[in-house]
Amino acid sequence: MSVTAIPEALAWESGVDDAPVALSVRRDLVAVAGAEGTVWVLDVATGAGAKVLDLPGGSLDVALAPDARHLAAAGPLGHALWARDGGRASVFETGAWSSKAAWANKERVAIASGRRALVLDTEGRELWAPEPTASTVTDVAWMRAGRRLAVAAYGAVSCHERHTPVPVATYRYVGSHLALAIPATGRWICSGNQDASIHIWRSRDGSELTMSGYPEKVSRLAFDDTGTWLAADGAPEVTVWDFSGKGPAGTAPRSLTCHETITALAWRPGSDGHLASGGDDGTIALWRATSGRPEARLRPARTLDGGAAVAALAWAAPDVLIAAYRDGRVLAHRVSGL
Amino acid sequence: MTTSADGRVPVTVLTGFLGSGKTTLLNRILTEQHGLRIAVIENEFGEVGIDDALVLDAEEEIFEMNNGCICCTVRGDLIRILGALMRRRDKFDHILIETTGLADPAPVAQTFFMDDEIAAQLRLDAIVTLVDAAHVLRHLDEAKPEGVENEAVEQIAFADRVVLNKTDLAGQDTIDEVISRIRAINAPVEVIPARHAEVDLARIMDVGAFDLDRVLRDDPAFLTDTEHQHDATVTSVGIELPGELDEERLNRWLGELLRTKGADIFRSKGILAIADEPRRYVFQGVHMLLDGEFGRPWQEGEARRNRLVFIGRDLDRDALERAFAGCLVTAGAAV
Repeated sequence: MSVTAIPEALAWESGVDDAPVALSVRRDLVAVAGAEGTVWVLDVATGAGAKVLDLPGGSLDVALAPDARHLAAAGPLGHALWARDGGRASVFETGAWSSKAAWANKERVAIASGRRALVLDTEGRELWAPEPTASTVTDVAWMRAGRRLAVAAYGAVSCHERHTPVPVATYRYVGSHLALAIPATGRWICSGNQDASIHIWRSRDGSELTMSGYPEKVSRLAFDDTGTWLAADGAPEVTVWDFSGKGPAGTAPRSLTCHETITALAWRPGSDGHLASGGDDGTIALWRATSGRPEARLRPARTLDGGAAVAALAWAAPDVLIAAYRDGRVLAHRVSGL
Repeated sequence: MTTSADGRVPVTVLTGFLGSGKTTLLNRILTEQHGLRIAVIENEFGEVGIDDALVLDAEEEIFEMNNGCICCTVRGDLIRILGALMRRRDKFDHILIETTGLADPAPVAQTFFMDDEIAAQLRLDAIVTLVDAAHVLRHLDEAKPEGVENEAVEQIAFADRVVLNKTDLAGQDTIDEVISRIRAINAPVEVIPARHAEVDLARIMDVGAFDLDRVLRDDPAFLTDTEHQHDATVTSVGIELPGELDEERLNRWLGELLRTKGADIFRSKGILAIADEPRRYVFQGVHMLLDGEFGRPWQEGEARRNRLVFIGRDLDRDALERAFAGCLVTAGAAV
């Protein structure tokens, strides 16, 4: 007997033939990157889709352009671009470690590539590139609506304006910056660190703040849409910092207790302060992450049991959460209210 | 070969100078019919070409940790590569990391202590140093400018196993001299003579050199004669003392020692008898990082005794012996 009952809360279930490492959702598409390098594109409404490219050496990240007409993938040995019109994929085997792809707008994408960040057009042609960093680039993020590029590597986050290789601002901190988070307001630059801390700069004057005391390295950081709340891993609890007013200096975060090991964080679109987190135990927790007082220890508003370690989470709409699991399943969970 | 009891994938660090036979040994490991799926991370690209094995290239990136520990550095490149490897669906039975002859082994080893994600899934099995019997003396004798490490000395000091390769190309006198020099630097290390990198893989892979349970099994070699009269700056100090230790005094001494001298102490190992504790305390460390736990109970009639060994630079044997003796319960108010 083989009956697959789709629970009411599940919009669709799909799967890929690899261990997913990254998800990207834009408009009507879901992109899934597998650890061994294959990238799939699925229809957000049905989960139906196909493989669009193979990145030799594996993949680490995938990003759809805002208009969902192009896709960029990054991996240990290079990067690739895919065009929806015609379905053509261009693979660039640079031999350089590429851990991140981030679109400035529908026409330009920044790719971490070894010690450089490259700004490419949709065909993969280099438009410009900041000067090399001291070590392999770990993350890139756009500021000022795609006019300024922040590049994280060991020892510093450097910011570059278009076509200027030399940084317009350098935010130094001796540490291995693993992940960047910059709110839409551009007021803060935050990095998660190998030394188990979050380092924060106020972008206006470069004034610094370090949130230390995490038991583990901080490799996942995310601001909500309002730019007020920052969620981070680095502990079994998700910590949520309040960046309103003068910022989080001297404050305590809310602690969200559910997982042993956090593997994904995704803020629900909007300003309700709703967060989804995933764990290696296969649980997705949904949180009213900003409720209660600072220092509050929160329990999930709801949990979803996925049955395998969560690899990545992304919201397709305020009521649709896409989850990729380590066993290759990709599920669209319907989440109404909280 | 058996797989690790704790389920984590063992990682062997293979180090040695150019020409010592690392590539030959690597190829030997990869082609031997052991049925293991092996991933190789190499610093010198393109040397190994085996269809079956996954070979990844790494460029040494050393990162400081902001944890108040001055010698605490990790290898950012390894963290990245191992992290990506662990996210793959295909599982490996063993990982080999080949470092260049110029690489410092400490950040490599420390990576396995400092990164929780790695420590949860991988275990450092052993540091294996390849030595060219015919040419190593020249490297060991090479005078370095003040403050610069002699890498050959350092790699022997860090090793759990030394493969003394190319013994067919060196005379017996030279071989004897090399072994004696290796022992002067690293007394407890197991030296494996070899020709053409022909080594019984069971002696270098899955040996559990960092496994506290197995620190004990190396017992016979633990405190071999260290009374060589070389005026080397990197030496081993092994201490054996009967009796029981006062836990508080021991912690204070060891903590202070590693805090102040940790940069000069490359490796440390010990099996200790703590007062009022029925089990043996086993520890091992790399620089300032120490990993210890209570092991099996002392057996009935077994004499309580303490053995420890430090391998490092400018070690003051007398001072270490005195301070360690001061931790004995019977030393009482004398400290």
